[in-house]
Amino acid sequence: MSTLAGTGELLRLVLRLDRVRLPIWIAAILVFIWVSAASVIGLYPDPESIEAYVALVEGNPTLIAVEGPGIGFESPNVGVVLVNETTTWATIALSLMAVFLVVRHTRTEEDAERTELLLARQVGRHALLAASLVVVASAMVLVGALTVALLVALGLPTAGSVAVAAAFVAVGLVATSFAAVAAQVMSSARGALGMGVSFVGVAYVLRAVGDVGNEFVSWMSPIGWAHRIRAFAGEDWWVLALFLASAVVLVAAAVVLSDRRDLGSGIVAQRPGPARAPRWATSPFGLAWRLQRGSVIGWSIGLFVLGLVYGTVGRDVEQLFEDNPDFEQFLAQADGASITDTFYAFTLALGAMMACGFAISSVLRIRSEESAGRVESILATPTSRSVWAGSHLAVTVLGAAVVLAASGAGTGIGLAFSVEDPEQLPRMFGASLGYVPAVLVLAGLTMLLVGKLPRLGMVSWALLAIVLVIGLFGDLFELPQWVRNVSPIEQTPSLPAEAFRPLPFAMLVGTALVGAGVGVVALRRRDIPTT
Amino acid sequence: MQQTAAMELAVSLSAVVKTFGAVRALDGLDLEARTGEVHGFLGPNGSGKTVTIRVLLGMYRHDTGTALLLGGDPWRDAVELHRRVAYVPGDVNLWPSLTGGEVIDLLGRLQGGIDEGRRAELVERFDLDPRKRSRTYSKGNRQKVALVAALASDAELYVLDEPTAGLDPLMEAVFQDCIAELAAEGRTVLLSSHILAEVERLCDRVSIIRRGRTVQTGTLAELRHLTRTSISVETERPVTGLDELSGIHDASELEHRLEFEVDSDHLDAAIAHLGGFGIRALTSHPPTLEELFLRHYGDELADAGVGNDHTRA
Ligand SMILES: Nc1ncnc2c1ncn2[C@@H]1O[C@H](COP(=O)(O)OP(=O)(O)OP(=O)(O)O)[C@@H](O)[C@H]1O
Ligand SMILES: [Mg+2]
Repeated sequence: MSTLAGTGELLRLVLRLDRVRLPIWIAAILVFIWVSAASVIGLYPDPESIEAYVALVEGNPTLIAVEGPGIGFESPNVGVVLVNETTTWATIALSLMAVFLVVRHTRTEEDAERTELLLARQVGRHALLAASLVVVASAMVLVGALTVALLVALGLPTAGSVAVAAAFVAVGLVATSFAAVAAQVMSSARGALGMGVSFVGVAYVLRAVGDVGNEFVSWMSPIGWAHRIRAFAGEDWWVLALFLASAVVLVAAAVVLSDRRDLGSGIVAQRPGPARAPRWATSPFGLAWRLQRGSVIGWSIGLFVLGLVYGTVGRDVEQLFEDNPDFEQFLAQADGASITDTFYAFTLALGAMMACGFAISSVLRIRSEESAGRVESILATPTSRSVWAGSHLAVTVLGAAVVLAASGAGTGIGLAFSVEDPEQLPRMFGASLGYVPAVLVLAGLTMLLVGKLPRLGMVSWALLAIVLVIGLFGDLFELPQWVRNVSPIEQTPSLPAEAFRPLPFAMLVGTALVGAGVGVVALRRRDIPTT
Repeated sequence: MQQTAAMELAVSLSAVVKTFGAVRALDGLDLEARTGEVHGFLGPNGSGKTVTIRVLLGMYRHDTGTALLLGGDPWRDAVELHRRVAYVPGDVNLWPSLTGGEVIDLLGRLQGGIDEGRRAELVERFDLDPRKRSRTYSKGNRQKVALVAALASDAELYVLDEPTAGLDPLMEAVFQDCIAELAAEGRTVLLSSHILAEVERLCDRVSIIRRGRTVQTGTLAELRHLTRTSISVETERPVTGLDELSGIHDASELEHRLEFEVDSDHLDAAIAHLGGFGIRALTSHPPTLEELFLRHYGDELADAGVGNDHTRA
């Protein structure tokens, strides 16, 4: 029997399971592209405004990191601006979609022991992987085709529209293939997701750092390649070959790896563990810590490295700025804060937005323990619901502080070395910890959902999406201030560029406490498990 | 006086209703388990056993009716009551990254302490490898982890929801021995099960539920009494007038041999009637538990309403 037997049937299964999820992903990404394109076209109607944009970005490390390197700025047009503003984030969104969907259909199914139900039928060993990849890749291509239609309809040149859409799709396909490898290497869905998301994060950081500092580094990231297709700036089509080659190699690797491992296990084998539990691990808090420890450590390492990488470009940041012809005008804009501080206020806020991701996933542990049917054993002991949920929340608070400390420490260490000023370490460290209350607001709201509307727990990820849109595209979309104020990150004074003010912190902490409190009370009153 | 009566019941549910939206999972359920007895809790799939147990453990809040666990309110006093209760859930889900030994320690210590000797003895008796990660355990081994954790705790009441699902016959025997020992120590056990031999061997009394209602409760002897005995008889002269007797079912005649079923409380009259025709050979066999359950699980009873008035129907 062919190892691909039954792929057709499984395609239908995958589509059936994703009939809500997939359209939401596709629609959300297309809306993002459409809104970005429309706002760029509205904001930069003539050559003067485009020149002004180029001047603004060229010397500004923050904008290079958050947007793009400014490929084609020597003869700019509105398409170039659009590419610079959207490529990074559209490719990140497509990559995350790829990772979540591929892992969901391969590794998660396997962990749930549903895959063996299929393999016992006329279904080949690689059929589920193939079906998942085909569905996700087709979704990417669909997004690409609709993007071309959208951009052409908005009046952009066809060749450039095809090139930028191809760049989006190509990054998505590389992420899809990488996710297939992650699903084989790791021994659980959670691990595979972590590996896949890290891949996206690393691709972003390499691109950002390379574009601010040494361009060679950008060539190590698929997101960096995407910018270098040079859409609307004399397209370099050959770059697409880089993507194609990587995707082929990764899929081949996934197939080889899947032949070498057993169903349900990773390439890394499980060793026997301890026969007895240490005393600290057998309290409700100890258990919560054990379950979340890996996630706290993983996020901390990730944000530490991210900060470190950002920190090390401190010299380049100053250099870029000094070379900038609009130097004077800029200083006026930045309210007296140094350009270095403005840059790091942004990178620390970015770290804090990611820490919000940690906080949400940490609180959702309460829900996943419930839906995985593990909470019954705990609640049948003399452990109250409040103690059980409170233990997880305590880990969330502690973890958020640790993750933000790691982000600040990484930034501070990198920067201190780069600009040879040890004072920067405590400054960055403190500034990053300033985001703890903001991050906890997201945790509190997630707890509110888990307690009151457990079936909608996943909606808390939409809260993160809102925070990200406000934080990253507030200017691009020209969001009014009252909308931006919805985001707790925005409410936090942007340390170290702004001064510390106690009132916003107190209000954020209050919001977090009320959300979590109402959530826990609701949790005490409802049926557990609610399925 | 009222107080002591309540205390003699480890579990007491009366007219408990629990709905999930439009689904009426428990529809006026009654259940009483006396202190010190092993109480069998039976019913077809989806009849409400697990929901009942979750109400008893304060996980689900019932809509109406009264529920008492060890004399307390299972919802309000959950934490205090759980000190005295051990539980094996119907669906055993363990933390994939913890080893079996760690899970046993965790649940044991959350329960308020662990008897080291008993823990070691149970791990040995159930032949469990405590060093494996839960994600690599087979179904039966996961079940053993939950069983060892529950049986190792010093509880007054053991609530076991299909505790032997997935166990091999050897382990099933070990389990039965353990329950017999608990019973001998005077502890109470509420045992939901589909394994009738196990119920027959272990339980003092059983309750059978269907669609969220109790259809039968009593000792096995009492339940047998409420159902039919099969009779096969050879007589010298053909039997007549049998259909004038009440409580006779499915009679069939084959040459000299007559077979029929009789409601147990009409057995005496039926045998007396047969005596008039010269009995040559007679075999009777009491209903097996299987037959008992098949009758109670079967649809005719549901349609007739409550099980124990079928003799009058
Ligand atoms: N959380 C819930 N929401 C909605 N319906 C539920 C819920 N829990 C149980 N039910 C329904 O209540 C009924 C009783 O279910 P229960 O799990 O108690 O059955 P059971 O007797 O334990 O069956 P089995 O022998 O298969 O374990 C079923 O119809 C089930 O679908
Ligand atoms: Mg059940």
